Amino acid sequence: MQAIQDKEGIKRYLITLYVNGDPYTKVVKANTLLVNVLRDDLDLTGTKKGCELGDCGSCTVLLDGKPVNACLVLAVEADGRDIITIEGLGDNEKLDPIQEAFIENAALQCGYCTAGMIMSAKALLNSNPDPTEKEVREAIAGNLCRCTGYVNIVKAILSCGRQSKGGDE
Amino acid sequence: MMEGKFSVIGKSKPRIDGRVKVTGQAKYTGDLKLSNMLVGKILTSPHAHAMILKIDTTEAQRQPGVKAVITHEDVPDLKYGISPARWDENIFCIDKVRFVGDKVAAVAAIDEETVYKALALIKVDYELLPAVFDPIEALQEGAPLVHEQCPGNVNTEIHQNFGDVEKAFAEAYYVRTDTFVGQRTYQCPIEPHSAISVWEGGKLTVYSSTQSPHYFQYYIARQFGLKMGDVRVIKPHMGGGFGGKLEPTGLEFAGAALAMRTGRPVKMFYDRHEMFAHNRGRHKQIMKVTTGVDKHGKILGVHADFIMDGGAYTSLGVATAYYAGAMLPLTYEYENYKFDMIRAYTNLPACGAQRGHGHPQPRYAYECHLDMLAKDLGMDPLELRLINTRKPNTVTPNDFRVNSCELEACLKKAKEISGWEEKRKNLSSGKGIGLAVGSFVTGAGYPIYRTDLPQAAAMIKVNEDGTSATLYTGAVDIGQGSDTILCQMAAEAMGFTYEQMKIVSADTETTPHDFGAYASRQTLMSGAAVKQAGEEVKQQVIEMASMMLQTDYRDLECREGVIWRKTDPSVTITYAAVARDFFVRKGPLVGKGSYTPPKLGGTFKGAPVGTSPAYSFCAQISQVDIDEETGEIKVEHVWDVHDCGTVINPALLHGQVHGALFMGMGEAVWEEVVFDDKGKILNANLGEYRLPTALDMPNITSELVFSPEPEPAGPWGVKEVGEGSTIPTMGCYSNAIYDAMGVRVYSLPLSYEKVWRALKEKREHEQQK
Amino acid sequence: MYLPDFDYIAAATVVKASRLLGSLGPEAKLIAGGTDVLPMLKQGTLATKTLISINRLSELKNISFEKGKGHIIGALATHNEVMKSPVLQEKYMSVCETAHRMANNQIRNIGTIGGNISNAVPSADFPPILIALGATVTLQNSSGSRTLPLEGFFMGPRQSVIAQDEILTEIVIPENGFSGSTYHKFGLRRSGALAVVGVAVAVAMEGNICKDACIVLGAVAPTPMRAKEAEALLRGKEVSDALLEKAGKLAAAASNPITDIRGSEEYRRDMVRVFTRRCLRKAMDNGHV
Repeated sequence: MQAIQDKEGIKRYLITLYVNGDPYTKVVKANTLLVNVLRDDLDLTGTKKGCELGDCGSCTVLLDGKPVNACLVLAVEADGRDIITIEGLGDNEKLDPIQEAFIENAALQCGYCTAGMIMSAKALLNSNPDPTEKEVREAIAGNLCRCTGYVNIVKAILSCGRQSKGGDE
Repeated sequence: MMEGKFSVIGKSKPRIDGRVKVTGQAKYTGDLKLSNMLVGKILTSPHAHAMILKIDTTEAQRQPGVKAVITHEDVPDLKYGISPARWDENIFCIDKVRFVGDKVAAVAAIDEETVYKALALIKVDYELLPAVFDPIEALQEGAPLVHEQCPGNVNTEIHQNFGDVEKAFAEAYYVRTDTFVGQRTYQCPIEPHSAISVWEGGKLTVYSSTQSPHYFQYYIARQFGLKMGDVRVIKPHMGGGFGGKLEPTGLEFAGAALAMRTGRPVKMFYDRHEMFAHNRGRHKQIMKVTTGVDKHGKILGVHADFIMDGGAYTSLGVATAYYAGAMLPLTYEYENYKFDMIRAYTNLPACGAQRGHGHPQPRYAYECHLDMLAKDLGMDPLELRLINTRKPNTVTPNDFRVNSCELEACLKKAKEISGWEEKRKNLSSGKGIGLAVGSFVTGAGYPIYRTDLPQAAAMIKVNEDGTSATLYTGAVDIGQGSDTILCQMAAEAMGFTYEQMKIVSADTETTPHDFGAYASRQTLMSGAAVKQAGEEVKQQVIEMASMMLQTDYRDLECREGVIWRKTDPSVTITYAAVARDFFVRKGPLVGKGSYTPPKLGGTFKGAPVGTSPAYSFCAQISQVDIDEETGEIKVEHVWDVHDCGTVINPALLHGQVHGALFMGMGEAVWEEVVFDDKGKILNANLGEYRLPTALDMPNITSELVFSPEPEPAGPWGVKEVGEGSTIPTMGCYSNAIYDAMGVRVYSLPLSYEKVWRALKEKREHEQQK
Repeated sequence: MYLPDFDYIAAATVVKASRLLGSLGPEAKLIAGGTDVLPMLKQGTLATKTLISINRLSELKNISFEKGKGHIIGALATHNEVMKSPVLQEKYMSVCETAHRMANNQIRNIGTIGGNISNAVPSADFPPILIALGATVTLQNSSGSRTLPLEGFFMGPRQSVIAQDEILTEIVIPENGFSGSTYHKFGLRRSGALAVVGVAVAVAMEGNICKDACIVLGAVAPTPMRAKEAEALLRGKEVSDALLEKAGKLAAAASNPITDIRGSEEYRRDMVRVFTRRCLRKAMDNGHV
């Protein structure tokens, strides 16, 4: 990672992030957080800031496939790594099944926790295609939702599990 | 017969904003970026009570990238507040600060980092004053005065007396008094507050995460001496409010002043800990309740004697204070009711309206109290309630007219689906089952400030080629789904399809007036305006179709985008064809509607608070499992039965019940804002202020009951659902804990430690015997 | 919130990181997962001029078993890596379960076991169970390394014996004779809550006779602490409910909790009694370590 000093005497670092499959090269400071690069520099505002201390999970993204709080990752530490944000799920033609399931099950209200919630769910389903209710609750325990009581969120994630096995039980 | 009665309402249509929210496309205020935009923040007080001697902004001003630093000297000194009864806040403190977090100055700079650094460079000299943090201490003689013009720190004092309570108690077979204490909680929407102000030579536009663009527009215009027409407030997508985003936060005022000063858009925002300090959450109430009953358990009279901690400013607290007592007589029928309340000022953050506005804590107190009465009388608590349950078409002692009311059916259904009787007898050791009820307004009968504006208005424009229609409404979707259900209601009234509805909402310039999202008002009030607008469109469509088909309009019916002859259903024409023709011949096809409630309530002081066109009712039963050694509470199941009138969207409706119950559950067991002895919040974060996680939530069964006659006051018979299920939860858990362990916790939250302590005291007491 | 300015250096080796720490002095701090350091920096409870990152030192992520030495856990193993490690799951399920209950999934994916130990927070979850199992820690600087029992590592809240230029590199659970172990975190919600009380227990059972026991308490003293009187009571005794209750009482009496927003001294002390007894029973009945 290359570091340069700007005219103000501030050290800047040249980083490349692989976000949703595309390389983005940015100049950041040591104290720049991943969540701010995503939101401010890349305009990927689907990733939200809720508490900035790793308590709420609104900024959950997949870093090398694993869900992490983007508010607790330094941009310099994400250099060269793969990041998937909510904008990286599904495509214009077809939403990701977990996104469809959230709509179908009315698993969102204000929507502010939704992106982080979906990223946690996605990580769970990637590694465990047919989770139990307990596994689902455990996987989203780091994502606080103030609107839904989690009832329909749990339902939505479980419905994806069953779908992935093909057909209802 | 119900089948086919409605085409669009009553169905779980997907949310109109579902797709943009699951893809991350939905823009919330904090996501917006305007060209040349600055970032601003407010400097707040580190002291609970102190004179401001001097504010030195020179060094902050000198920082490269800082564009403006403002204090009270740079803004109007007009006092404001959401409650016109007591305007007591300034944009920035002038003479003194009154709580840790009070607003002192603000900075606008080119980016966030510069703002934070500049804030740290503002030097404020304070002279500390003695502070008061307890409402009872605040009311003592000689207590420090939070507002000099307010002697005794009495912010609101209420004495209401209906019937003759003393006589009722004197004649009663049994009288019991209990005292309970509530706690300060915070709404904790996951989206932090934010506001972007844009000043364009005489016109101010504010994008804000607000529950009420109208009140913001009103107060911003008033504060800066602008015409309301020159202030535009827009609510982008919004990440929850629960009452905490109903009133101006300071971000709008400071942002507007900074935008006017710099000529550039300014984005202001709160960090999580600043949200806690701004607060406007639930008041702490100290609640003494007395009830007299006859020997059958019939309630003869009730006295509610309350004190509440209001914090440093009025906020919505005058209304909260009235609500606290006003809502109690809704659930049970009695003639004699006395309500005394003092809302005290303290040097803590101001409290306001949180889901269930003022009512959940008194309801907790009362429902616990009733269970204790039932025990004294040797009655089943459910039977005691059934004896006293309010009936439809009755009037409360404080002059609230109740039309539809199925509380009795709620109780009976809850009893049945929970297996109440069986469980009361046979639950294993450590487990218990408890019950509580509640009721809530479907919109406040009167606006927050005095005005003759209608409560809500709406406009529908069928778009020119007739294939879609746009609903324009001032109603505010904060997540509860009003955009969706109002589009369903519009389509139903128009005879159109939901899928072809578009919506523009919550923008004071492009949408008709509405007071916004609070007091569970929009389905009924905004919905009534939308229904009227839709019917006006439908009438014009039918008249045009009658001309085109050369058929008497009375022979035409219109549903889901198709018009047909009743006498010959093979003769049809599409809505689109008719609407297009209408536009060609007559210009825009537009319908409009507005809603003003009938005159409600009595004439005594405070009579308007608690009035509503319709009231919802709710019964909750919960089953808990208590660890007798640790006090740990595991809620195993909750059954909620709601009487909320006609359902527009079942999926969204049950979502409201789940969420309301979740908030009630958090307040019941975990949530409490805690302060140190200097008035500083010790848990202003989501780690130590514990909202329940997915692992903490029990299974929820949400069921409904319906009146034989639909509620006459609401369009299609709709009533409240968004707040009602928060109300019984705390009392319900407390009663379940009592059933499980035989101990009563007299203060909220019913924390593990408090249950442990109660159990320990019980054991010690038994050993002494 | 924002992070104050600091310099950032990604160290290429442990030795280089140690040299940097040594030359820059106390104003330089080490960052691994960052789940503790970054919130502290944001909240102003920690200040630093330079953050020295050891995150890329993948050699410190290894989890393995070496005969004669024991189970080795690299300091940079994340909580989830500890939780999912087959090597650990086979022998020390209690350690994996501790990792699981430590925090939510997002935090477990970046927080490290070395960080959880070296922060020396009294309520930390790994230290009690690792001390109970007799773990050692290795501290390395540019001139060499030293290994010491974890039990002797902590000096007070956020204070340890680690020198300015030392880096915790590995944790070793030596081969031991314990037949069962467990850790219970008592927090105020099921996720995202610090321990109000943490109790770790390791026991060596022969039939119903307790040959050896180690009880370590977390969150009830400035550092994790052994409940030695309770351990002594148990050694060589036939186990009964009454004996375990007595052990619980001794542990409670030995604990030294404070009152804070999570619980009173009195409550914590009684929870020590309850969970010491329950953990002993669980470890004795478990039949595995």
